[in-house]
Amino acid sequence: MPALASSRDATPAAISVNGVHKKFDSGATSVQALTDVSFTVATGQFVTVVGPSDCGKSTLLQVLAGLTPASAGTVLLDGEPVTAPRPDKIGIVFQEAWLLPWKTALENVEFPLSLRGVRKAEQRPRAEAQLALVGLADAAGRYPHELSGGMKQRVAIARGLVQQPSVLLMDEPFASLDEQSRTRMGADLLGIWERTGRTIVFITHGLTEAIYLADVILVMASKPGRIVDRIPVPLARPRTVDMIGSEVFGKLRNRIWHLIAD
Amino acid sequence: MSSNRPTAWLVPACQLGVLALFAGLWEVSSRSGWVNPELLPPLSVVLLILWKLLRDPAFLGDLRVTTAETIVAYLIVAPTGLLLGFFIGERRWLYRATNPILQLLMATPKMIFLPIFILAFGIGFLEKVMFASMVGIFATVIAGIAAVQSVPQGLMRVATAFGATRLQIYTRIYFPAMIPIIIGGMRLGLIFTIFGVLLSEMYAASRGVGQTLFSWGEQTRLAELLAGVLLVVAITVTLDELMRFGERRSRRRRVEA
Repeated sequence: MPALASSRDATPAAISVNGVHKKFDSGATSVQALTDVSFTVATGQFVTVVGPSDCGKSTLLQVLAGLTPASAGTVLLDGEPVTAPRPDKIGIVFQEAWLLPWKTALENVEFPLSLRGVRKAEQRPRAEAQLALVGLADAAGRYPHELSGGMKQRVAIARGLVQQPSVLLMDEPFASLDEQSRTRMGADLLGIWERTGRTIVFITHGLTEAIYLADVILVMASKPGRIVDRIPVPLARPRTVDMIGSEVFGKLRNRIWHLIAD
Repeated sequence: MSSNRPTAWLVPACQLGVLALFAGLWEVSSRSGWVNPELLPPLSVVLLILWKLLRDPAFLGDLRVTTAETIVAYLIVAPTGLLLGFFIGERRWLYRATNPILQLLMATPKMIFLPIFILAFGIGFLEKVMFASMVGIFATVIAGIAAVQSVPQGLMRVATAFGATRLQIYTRIYFPAMIPIIIGGMRLGLIFTIFGVLLSEMYAASRGVGQTLFSWGEQTRLAELLAGVLLVVAITVTLDELMRFGERRSRRRRVEA
């Protein structure tokens, strides 16, 4: 693991977004959700996208995931254009876990594999490995309603990782958790990231979370939704909760705050 | 739920108690002459007649006719209603267009259409089946619509993101998510179908349990009438409880995603 995030910039781009526009037309009115969004994410990098609630960051994730087509511009994943969902290459974790309530934690993790026709005998060990990775090996047989909010999100992360995607997209995954769980989940997510070496794009409206997790922060502003800055985080890895109180952290936080507020 | 498990036996005990009290009051009030035994024969007498009825070929024939009418009507009601409901529920514009009409028809007492059905189909098997289907189908159509609309959009978003095909979304998300509401709707559909069959038999028929009950009433053969009523109640309650059991079981794991 490199000590400094910036050294990751040298590796080839996993995601390359070029001049993406997204317009929503609903009858007479049309909303410009994204305007000329361009950036790259290096392989293995942890990028957070932070911005106010109506800046189009969730739309950006939908476009990255191939769930919504861009009105203009391209998204390249390992050099290939993304125009439809790519479950083999992209794992997704949403704000709500959206686990299938009639399936156990383990069966939920197996779900993406079963959709793609992976043999049952192969699904089980792969799903078990992912559940262990998120620290839920003991909860494999439990149903979603028997899990806490944080545990559900862990299952959702395991489900997102089960196909060994090169990229994990996360759309405010901890937004509906209490602060304690959110902090713990953030730390655990960094651990999972370091062990798996996945590229992660993490959308959030929390400045602290955005800085604490990221190699690079993309700051978005609204009306129209656009990227106003790309900020490398000069904090060493592994990150610790104590860093949140440091001067560097505080200055960075203020800088982003002004970018968003102005 | 499980939090008050120590007193869990209290509920069924109370229910049995109420039932026993009711049976006891019935028996005693009739035997002691508080109530005219001509109008309310004792429960024991009624049960004895019921036992005889269940061996009476004529009555068993009526039971067969009614059962056949109910089954055929229900075989129309359940699939047609649910599929129609799915079809409407999936299309916002169609739902918006048809919902007020459905609500209106749902609120209309269906029995006012009975004379029209008799004019159109006579008073035989076909008329019973058609009328009962009409009575029963609204519950299943509305259940079908509710079932489709109950499927959380988030589950479909997840499935789409993980590359589910349209068919997989139907079989892996839609169907299992809808099961509790489907069973609930099928249950209501069955109750309404039975109601429709009995009603049309009572109104005009040459055979069937409804017709027989009605004529016993007209002849004030109260013991037979009450025995028949008890039997119909027992059958419908049993069917209803069986379906409720299935509904509860399927719902248990769907408390919350």
